[in-house]
Amino acid sequence: MINWGKVWSDFFIVLALTSNVGFIFSHDPYQLVVAIGVNLIATVLKFGAKKILAAEMLATALVADLHLIPATFLYFTGTHVPLAIGLAIGAAVANIISIVLLVVEIIFEYKSEEEF
Amino acid sequence: MKKKKKIPHYGNVKPKSYRAIYEEKFYNVLFQLRFPLMTIIFFTTVGVLSLMIINNKTDGESVLNYLFHTIITFSTVGYTEGYTDNISLNRLFSTLFIMVAFPLAYLYGLVATVNAFLNSNIGEIYRYWRMYKHMEKLRGHYIIVRFNNITKETMRNLKRRGIKFVLIEPDRRREEEIKKFGVDFYVFDEPHKREVLLGVGIEHAKGLITAFEENTQDLAVIVTARLIRPDKDNFIIIATATNEGAGEKMKLLGANEVVVPSVTIGRRIASYVLHPPSPTISKFLEKIAYGERTDIDIIEMKVEENSTLVGKRLKEIHMRQETGATVVAIIREDGKMKIAPSGETEIKAGDALLILGHPKSLKRVEEFFERALEEKEEEKQLQEVKSDD
Repeated sequence: MINWGKVWSDFFIVLALTSNVGFIFSHDPYQLVVAIGVNLIATVLKFGAKKILAAEMLATALVADLHLIPATFLYFTGTHVPLAIGLAIGAAVANIISIVLLVVEIIFEYKSEEEF
Repeated sequence: MKKKKKIPHYGNVKPKSYRAIYEEKFYNVLFQLRFPLMTIIFFTTVGVLSLMIINNKTDGESVLNYLFHTIITFSTVGYTEGYTDNISLNRLFSTLFIMVAFPLAYLYGLVATVNAFLNSNIGEIYRYWRMYKHMEKLRGHYIIVRFNNITKETMRNLKRRGIKFVLIEPDRRREEEIKKFGVDFYVFDEPHKREVLLGVGIEHAKGLITAFEENTQDLAVIVTARLIRPDKDNFIIIATATNEGAGEKMKLLGANEVVVPSVTIGRRIASYVLHPPSPTISKFLEKIAYGERTDIDIIEMKVEENSTLVGKRLKEIHMRQETGATVVAIIREDGKMKIAPSGETEIKAGDALLILGHPKSLKRVEEFFERALEEKEEEKQLQEVKSDD
């Protein structure tokens, strides 16, 4: 059976990265609004998870948010657009780490299921 | 290959982490916020994006206006519209948006978020979490089992001396009473379980006091505690029993001291009859004996064979000058007691000195005795070095 709760959170974790990458290449304001919205949702969905890497996942998500929020400010004030793009790239790196952790967690879960 | 872990002598039991229980409760509150917060963020993003597309404006000022417009829309505040052109198209969007966003983002999202905080008792969770965090750091404390009139009096006296203790009470309904009484550390759990005793730090504790109304429960606690800490000298267990037979059994099973309340009270009354209490002297001695006075106390110090004190006369060790405490009696190894010894009395190995003084002086006395042992060690080492040469 598919665990639909997991589909939701995994969906947003991956979408956070893809929308972020989309902004980095397009420099488009619409894409930036989508990226920040999706990143915030991905963070919120990690609240209260009680898995092995829950703390690390939440931390990476917060890092991505703290890159994107100032990036949004800088982008829309129009003063430091290159810096905003730089911050978005930083957020994308955090998103990638988040996905790597997600995969590690899946492997751990798979292993522990085998043991019992 | 996996390394085999050493299983402790009391079996493969892990200490119960009370801190983790309350951490989990906090995570559960956060967990409840997931979907409400997600809804709010989702509708904010959709609102801002839609307004950006409808008005075809992406400059900072407009985007801020659209964010403001979206939030005042679904929170039903509605100061002023965040757009100036395309009024009819914008109003059409706003109408549709309110119809969807008001029930979902406001009635569900915001209300559920506030509700999760109000119903979860966050302050209480934090208070317990902090208490258990400090509890984990306790060393040399006492464990007191059961909250009743006997242990209340015990705790009051221990508190006056600044001795730390953890209370284990099986009945959660007494929470209010315990809070009112002002106990620093308490858990609600079954005290005869190994994980519970390990959880309150029995491995670093000095002793355990158990005072159930029923002997069987006391016995269960004594046996469990003794199983984890078998050494009677380093971990003392004090218990109460309803009759002397049960008391004897408890002693055989590992209690250091057992108090039978009816016997103790009866003896005390008889002693009042036999020695009519003098208002000053008897009260004074009694208060020292029961540890009710905080300015004076009495301790028994054993003189080890390898101490420098052995063979010296009382006046030669200058203990009173150094520590401020006085030797009031010497108990020889054969059990004979020398009360009010003179300065000429010689200290022998195996003697026990009864020392009276201020608790601070008595602390110094303990250090004084430790030093006497260390000095002897150093002397030995020096002699060894000399003989090697």
